[in-house]
Amino acid sequence: MRDPVAIVAAGVVTPIGQDLDAFWSSLLTGGAGITRIERFPVADLGVGLGGEIKKLPPAPRRAPECRASRLLLAAASELRSGGGALLARDPARLAVVVGTALGGVAEGERALAGAAGLRTLAGALYDSPARNLARGLGARGPVLTVSTACASGATALGVGAELVREGVADVVVAGGYDVLCRFVMKGFDVLRALTRDAIRPFDRRRSGTLLGEGAGLVLLAREQDAAAGPRLGRLLGHASGSDGSHIAAPDPNGRGLEYSMRAALAEAGVAPTAIDFVSAHGTATPLNDRVETNVLKRVLGRRAHEIPVNSIKGYMGHTMGAAAALEAIMCLLAARHGVIPPTFGLEDPDPECDLDYVPRTPRAARPRIMLSTSAGFGGCNASLVLEGV
Amino acid sequence: MKVAGVGVITGWGRGVEALPADAAATAGGRYVVAIPRPAPPGDRLRRATRECLLGIGAVEELLQTVARPASELAGPGTALLYVTASAYGAANRAFLGARGGTLHFPYTAPSAVPAEVAIEYGLCGAYVNFIGGAAATVDALWYAGSLLERGACTQALVLAVETFAECADLYRRARWLAAGPLVEAAACALLRPGGRRAEYDPDPVGVDAARRRTGQTFACEPLIALAVAGGDPAAVAGRWRGRRAGLRRL
Repeated sequence: MRDPVAIVAAGVVTPIGQDLDAFWSSLLTGGAGITRIERFPVADLGVGLGGEIKKLPPAPRRAPECRASRLLLAAASELRSGGGALLARDPARLAVVVGTALGGVAEGERALAGAAGLRTLAGALYDSPARNLARGLGARGPVLTVSTACASGATALGVGAELVREGVADVVVAGGYDVLCRFVMKGFDVLRALTRDAIRPFDRRRSGTLLGEGAGLVLLAREQDAAAGPRLGRLLGHASGSDGSHIAAPDPNGRGLEYSMRAALAEAGVAPTAIDFVSAHGTATPLNDRVETNVLKRVLGRRAHEIPVNSIKGYMGHTMGAAAALEAIMCLLAARHGVIPPTFGLEDPDPECDLDYVPRTPRAARPRIMLSTSAGFGGCNASLVLEGV
Repeated sequence: MKVAGVGVITGWGRGVEALPADAAATAGGRYVVAIPRPAPPGDRLRRATRECLLGIGAVEELLQTVARPASELAGPGTALLYVTASAYGAANRAFLGARGGTLHFPYTAPSAVPAEVAIEYGLCGAYVNFIGGAAATVDALWYAGSLLERGACTQALVLAVETFAECADLYRRARWLAAGPLVEAAACALLRPGGRRAEYDPDPVGVDAARRRTGQTFACEPLIALAVAGGDPAAVAGRWRGRRAGLRRL
């Protein structure tokens, strides 16, 4: 069992809200984040829908033009309200760990199309947005970028917590981001992984996912350092696991996902019977949702059918590197407000996905110990165990 | 943690024995010293990118160096920590330019290289990919040490791959990012529990220790330095885009 790490504050920028209050409100009221993409051409693609942020928050002075960096900086600005004192304490002991599936590829797209110069191309390096975030925060500690595809946000929180536990940093800004761009839309289009319908996690009619963009960040600190101020919760455990089975598809038996869940619970010192709520990856692809259901049944055992499980991808699309961080933040907000947001888009449950997937309406409940699961291309899987306050 | 072995392939050849005394002089004006695409047997890797095959090549080199069978890597006990600053560039560019009409989209992700390595050797344990150059490799070595120390794995494979040839024209225009010669490389270290605890050093001395012999190998550099030092150095260090990181008492 590892020492818990305090989650002091959080910040989000999403298609359904550009701060925690708006994000949470939309999760409860079913705010629609899926729209026709307007920022780049999609007419030649089979699917032109996505969770696009139509207008970014105002950029700080001298902010980089890079959209990914602007998302991160906007999410980080909200951290100051709960964690301003910790953020300002010692820049040399402030670290940044962000996860991304795409890095700055949108910048590369612009530069190679001749719409921007060579400096912009340097922004296409996957670690550039994290560097811009660190610069914006004035952080002089380690700056890490991790990329475990769509599990990146969870990996970042896990690695960030380890920096705190091991004393490499006192305070860590950790989370994930990704932006919609033609590159990724074209890629998923070629794979025929996008639905022409809505995202319907765990539904009998589910036919694929839609992509979204966003950023979610949390402020991590040692328990004793956070004791005096407000906090959202605690990160109890994290683990990542590799499927080692296929370059794109999840392992049909969920090998890596199960490994990550069990290892995260072990690190947290939490028994499966103690889990009150699960935030599932829930992409609404036929295979993912079935595999995830089966793994949850094996890991949670006899209580599996009693534990509420949701997926929030129906609200705003699969935000890739941001998804796991946003879902972790959603868990903490659920604990704080005593409500579990429903699985938006789930109307006709698939008999093969027979857990309590919280359909249609918010559920009054005050979960304390929560499990959040993620998976991505290349057999990347990651799980977080969180405690709300 | 202890270094059980290091496998290295570079544009100069296999192993550290192939490294020249002076990379810049030996490059003879070449800006990129490339590694040809390996030709693996069988059909499984027919769609894999060159960088994936180089990653597998580095692990093969490691296994030969330590004279152990591939089966010893398989299972959940081996953690896989992958690092690159740029090896996704070729696939990203190919897909962006529609020159890669046959390129399978999942190969554009940095996670494609460790995915193919995991599939090839049956690795299904802890797994993190770090993005960046030599400093990120230090981060990966530190994280591997943390996993080993807390028993989250029984051994850890830290792998780095860097390719440049497909984006050579872009790097040539961006010499402020990295002076040449850019030397393609793939390197991995197998780490086991034991030895002294490695301490993270945010301001190390002795960065770029192997640079004169290797040329610019970005994330591979600390692993090549480990190999040059016989796998038992007092410290490793790296620098990338102004950031330095090191480990003391390795």
